[in-house]
Amino acid sequence: FSLFPGISALVTFLLAALLNTLAVPAMNLTDPTAKVSIQKTYDLTKYLEHQLSTLASTYLNYLGPPFNDPDFSPPRVNGTTQIPSATVDFELWRGLNDRLRLVENYRAYSVLLRYLELMTQDLSCPELRRHFNHFCTSLQGLIVSIASVMTSLGYPPPAHPLRVRGVPGVSGGGAWALAGTASSAPSTFLKKMDDFWLLKELQIWLWRSAKDFNRLKKRSLPQTAAVHNHRPHRH
Amino acid sequence: MNFYCKCSNLCSLPPSLSSSSGVRIQYERIGSDVTMQCGTLGSDASITWKVNGSDVDTSVLEGPNLILRNVTLSYNGLYSCFEDSSGDLQDQISLRIGSPPREPVVTCRSNTYPKGFYCTWYLPFPTYIPNDFELTALQNTKEIECQRDAVHKNKCHLKFYQMFSSLKYKVTVTAKNALGKSSATITFDEFSIVKPDPPEKVTAKPIPDNPRRLEVAWQTPSSWPEPDTFPLKFFLRYRPLILDKWQHVELSDTNSHTITDACTGKEYIIQVAAKDNDIGTWSDWSVPIHATPWMEELKPPTNENQPPLITTTTSSSSVPPQSPSYQVSATTRNSATTIPRTVSLLLGITIFLFI
Repeated sequence: FSLFPGISALVTFLLAALLNTLAVPAMNLTDPTAKVSIQKTYDLTKYLEHQLSTLASTYLNYLGPPFNDPDFSPPRVNGTTQIPSATVDFELWRGLNDRLRLVENYRAYSVLLRYLELMTQDLSCPELRRHFNHFCTSLQGLIVSIASVMTSLGYPPPAHPLRVRGVPGVSGGGAWALAGTASSAPSTFLKKMDDFWLLKELQIWLWRSAKDFNRLKKRSLPQTAAVHNHRPHRH
Repeated sequence: MNFYCKCSNLCSLPPSLSSSSGVRIQYERIGSDVTMQCGTLGSDASITWKVNGSDVDTSVLEGPNLILRNVTLSYNGLYSCFEDSSGDLQDQISLRIGSPPREPVVTCRSNTYPKGFYCTWYLPFPTYIPNDFELTALQNTKEIECQRDAVHKNKCHLKFYQMFSSLKYKVTVTAKNALGKSSATITFDEFSIVKPDPPEKVTAKPIPDNPRRLEVAWQTPSSWPEPDTFPLKFFLRYRPLILDKWQHVELSDTNSHTITDACTGKEYIIQVAAKDNDIGTWSDWSVPIHATPWMEELKPPTNENQPPLITTTTSSSSVPPQSPSYQVSATTRNSATTIPRTVSLLLGITIFLFI
C-alpha cells in the first residue's frame, strides 16, 4: 500500500520526462534551415564588413584630421558608453551558449543601427547620406537575419533592446542627448569623436560576428550533437 | 658591467676600486675629440701613455692628458698611463668608439591568435657598442607586461587580455647605450597583426594511373592555438619547375587538394600559405616541395636492372646462335612470360580502382 504513491510518482515523473523529450524540437543546430540561416548571416557580416571599410574611410576623410589618421587612437569619452562594445574575455566568449551568442549580436546591431540612423540624418553631404542610408538598410537585413536564425533554432525572438531600456526614438535634434551630454548641442569635435567610435565599434562587431557565426556554423555539423545543452527557452 | 669611480677630494693615489680586471671602459662617439685622463693625477704630473702596449706619439699629449681628435673605430684599444718617476701603472682605460642608437625598427605579430602576440626589433644602423632595449606596451592607458624571449634577445611576448578590442595597441621600443638613446612607437589594431605560421608537413603524392594529378596535403601550423574556433583558410600555389607562372587555388575547410591539371611528366614545385578565415594577413609560404605526377612505365614492371625487353626479344628473334640452344629457349621463355605479367598487373590495378 505504501509503495503505490511512490510508484505512481515515479511513473508520473518518467512520463513527464518522456513528454518533455518528445516536446523538445528535434532540430536545434542540425536543422538544415538553421544551417542555411547561419551561413546567410555569416555571408552578410562579411558583406557589411567590406562595405563599411570603404564607407568609413570615406567618411573619416570627410571629417578630416585627426580622424583620418590611421594611427589615431583617442581615449574613450564617457558620452559613447551606450554603444555596445564587442570586447570580451576569450574564455567567456568561447563559453557563450548559442542563444546568448545570438542575443548579444542582435542587441548590439539594434543599438548600433539606431545610432547610425541618427548619425546619417545629421549628415550634411547628400551623397554620404545616401551611402549610409543604403548601409543602414543592409544592417537592418543583418538584424532580421539574426532573428531568423534564432527562430529556426527554436529560440523566441529577443525583445527590442531600445524599447527595453526606454531610450527615446528617432529624433533629429536630440540625437546626441542619448550620449548623455548637456542640454545644449554637443561640440562639433565631440560629435565627430562619437561618429568615429560608432564606426569603429561597428567594424569590430562585424569582425566578431563573423567569428560568432563561424562558431555556430561549426557547431551545426552533425557530429557535434549540441542538443544536450540547448533546450528552447520557455516563458 | 664595469664600474669606475673618481676621487674628487683629498686624493693622493687613484682609487683602486674597479672591475676585476682593473680596467675602466670609456665610450666615445665616432668623429668626436676625446680627452683621456690619467686617473686623478694633477696637471703637473709627468706621465707616459701607451696604447695596447705601444708608445704614443708625444704630439697628442696636452700635459698629462692624451688628446685624440676625430676618432674612428681604429682608435679602439687599451690605453695605459704610467707615472714617470715611479714607473707605476696609474690607470687603464679601454676606449670604445661607437654611436648613439638611431631609431629602432619594431614589428609586432600574432601567430597565436587569440592567445597573444610578440614584438621584435632591430637597429638599422650599427652602434659598435653594447645596446640595451626596453619595450613598453599600452592599450589606451593600461600598460601590458611583456616577457622577454629566452632565446632571442630582441623579442618580447605579450598576451591579449581581451578579444575584439576597439582600442589600439601602442608599443614603444627604446634602444639605449652609453652614448644616448632613441625610441620608436608603433600603433595597431588587434586584428591587423594576425599572421599565422606557414602550414606544416606539406606533402605531394602522385596518384597511380593519373598522369595529370597530384594529391597535396598539409597540416595547420602547430603554433595556431585554436584551429576549431578560429579556422584557417589556405592558399596553394604550384608550377612546373621549368616555368615561371604559378597556378593558384584558395581553399577553406580542408587540409588537402588534388591538382588535376598538372603537365604530364613534369616536376612540380608546390607551396601552401595560411590565413585566418576573417582577419589578418597571409602567412609566409611553406617550404617548397617537389613532386612529379605518375607516369606510365614504358618497360615491364619487373626487375629494373634487367636489360630492356626489346633487346631480349631481338636477340631471341634473330638467328639463334648454334651453341647455346638452352640460352635461347630461356630468353624466349622470359619474353613469353613477361608480357602476360604486364597485362595481369594492369588488370589488377584496374580492378583495384573499380572496387
